[in-house]
Amino acid sequence: MKILVVDDERDVEDLFRQKFRKEIRNEGLELLFAFSGKEALEILEKNRPPQVATVFSDINMPGMSGLEMLGIIKDRFPKLQVSMISAYGDADNYQKAMNSGAKGFFAKPVDFDSLKKEIRDISKS
Amino acid sequence: MILINLISLSLLYYLKKSSGAREFPEHLHRYFKYGMIAAGVLIALGIVHAPPEILFELLSFVLVGAVVYLMLNTPELSYLKTLAITPLPIIGVRLLEYVIKTLSPAIFDIVENYLDAAGVFAFIWAVTMWLNHRKQMKEIEIERIITKEQERQLRTTEEQKNQLETLVAERTKEILSQKEELQYALDHLRSTQEQLIQQEKLASLGQLTAGIAHEIKNPLNFVNNFSELSVDFLQEISEEMPKIPDSPEKENILDLLENVKSNLGKIRHHGSRADSIVRSMLMHSRGGSGTMDPTDLNALIREYSNLAFHGMRANPNPINVDIQLSLDETLPKVKLNAEDFSRVILNLLKNAFDAMRDKLATAGSDYKARVEVRTQDLGDKVLVEVEDNGPGVPDHIKDKLLMPFFTTKKGTEGTGLGLSITHDIVNSHEGTLEISTEEGKFTRFTILLPKR
Repeated sequence: MKILVVDDERDVEDLFRQKFRKEIRNEGLELLFAFSGKEALEILEKNRPPQVATVFSDINMPGMSGLEMLGIIKDRFPKLQVSMISAYGDADNYQKAMNSGAKGFFAKPVDFDSLKKEIRDISKS
Repeated sequence: MILINLISLSLLYYLKKSSGAREFPEHLHRYFKYGMIAAGVLIALGIVHAPPEILFELLSFVLVGAVVYLMLNTPELSYLKTLAITPLPIIGVRLLEYVIKTLSPAIFDIVENYLDAAGVFAFIWAVTMWLNHRKQMKEIEIERIITKEQERQLRTTEEQKNQLETLVAERTKEILSQKEELQYALDHLRSTQEQLIQQEKLASLGQLTAGIAHEIKNPLNFVNNFSELSVDFLQEISEEMPKIPDSPEKENILDLLENVKSNLGKIRHHGSRADSIVRSMLMHSRGGSGTMDPTDLNALIREYSNLAFHGMRANPNPINVDIQLSLDETLPKVKLNAEDFSRVILNLLKNAFDAMRDKLATAGSDYKARVEVRTQDLGDKVLVEVEDNGPGVPDHIKDKLLMPFFTTKKGTEGTGLGLSITHDIVNSHEGTLEISTEEGKFTRFTILLPKR
């Protein structure tokens, strides 16, 4: 199962790879990383339908924001599930994300246990 | 002889009449009255020729003489001098006639013609003088009217002046009071402006703080996450280690790994400490999103003191505390931001628990930790007090208690923001927060909130 993580912070890649080390080694989880909304859309465009099961994206990014990207993804790949991650865990961002069709909303610092649970649920379905 | 008396009578009558316009003393009036009676009697006697005629004639002269004398020698009548001397020649001629007739009728016969002629001249004189007198009187009268008019005008002017002065005084008073009002308004405006500037500064500082806090939060999350991960990996490594045969190198590696693990633990610990500071800063700078609603302060205190107690019991190093609530049940609802004010209660109680925990560690077993929360209706204000029997606050740090980032808590336990936030929240309710304390005995936080 492939998961795309979008965040402008490069260290997010290391963090996720290490946090999901066991899942990657033992359960066949594959993580893809994009460091901007544009890059994420390029990855998704490579295969139609995209070979990605779900997308986790930061909201605050330079250039295209996570919410903009969410709109575009929902427009082009309506079936693809996208969850948002934001340091600004306020009601405003939450509402915007949910109204734009986000599947879930995670506040930073990310609770990896709930993230793992979410991924497990997706891989089962 | 009747003529002389008529002169007396008319003079007196004239005097009496003119007394209406001028004020004569009382005794003059009396003279006029008796003089007129006497003249009347003498006229009557003259008509009937009652004897002794010679005596009455003499009395007539005395009377007219007295009248003229009175007119010439009384200061009040001095203006009638002309009138007084008007009949003098006539009287003189008559007196001469009378004297000559009485002393020697023979000589009288000789001089009668001369006397008649003198009488004519005397009459002409009298007429001239009378006219003169009339003219004088008129002049005096005109003068009098002019003076009176001038006086009247003067009085009117005086009155107008007074009225104007009163008006000016009134206006001055009005203007002064308006000036005072304006001054007050200006002062008020100035202080409001200063407050606004101060608030603006604080708000921008708050925004800056929030921005900084957010920026710090992200790298801090990495620090915390990676240190946590590394601890987990080290755990895995130590699980794998027994599979490697023992050797001095392995010994060294295990030793170093133990150190790395402890260091990572420290990084994690200080990272979460920094995280809690950042979170407090964000709360600090959070704009007044909450609304002020009438709140049952006693219920809020009951709920949150309970929460504070159980929170403390659930955390490391719980202590036994006797929490006393002395709440004024007559307290009306107070306009509060309930969310913010609950933090005040939580912070003050947490502060008390921490202080008493320190005392429990040092004081003997007799010491029983006790904290009392009081409310009281003070009329226009509401009192909230939190008093603990902890170690108290030394004088030299009492002033610093409310400063941001000041903490007495050993090492890494406190952020130094709890009381500062509490103070800010009380301020935002336009209340006051005061600390009274005695070292070794108690610390009391007193909050006064306006009722509004």
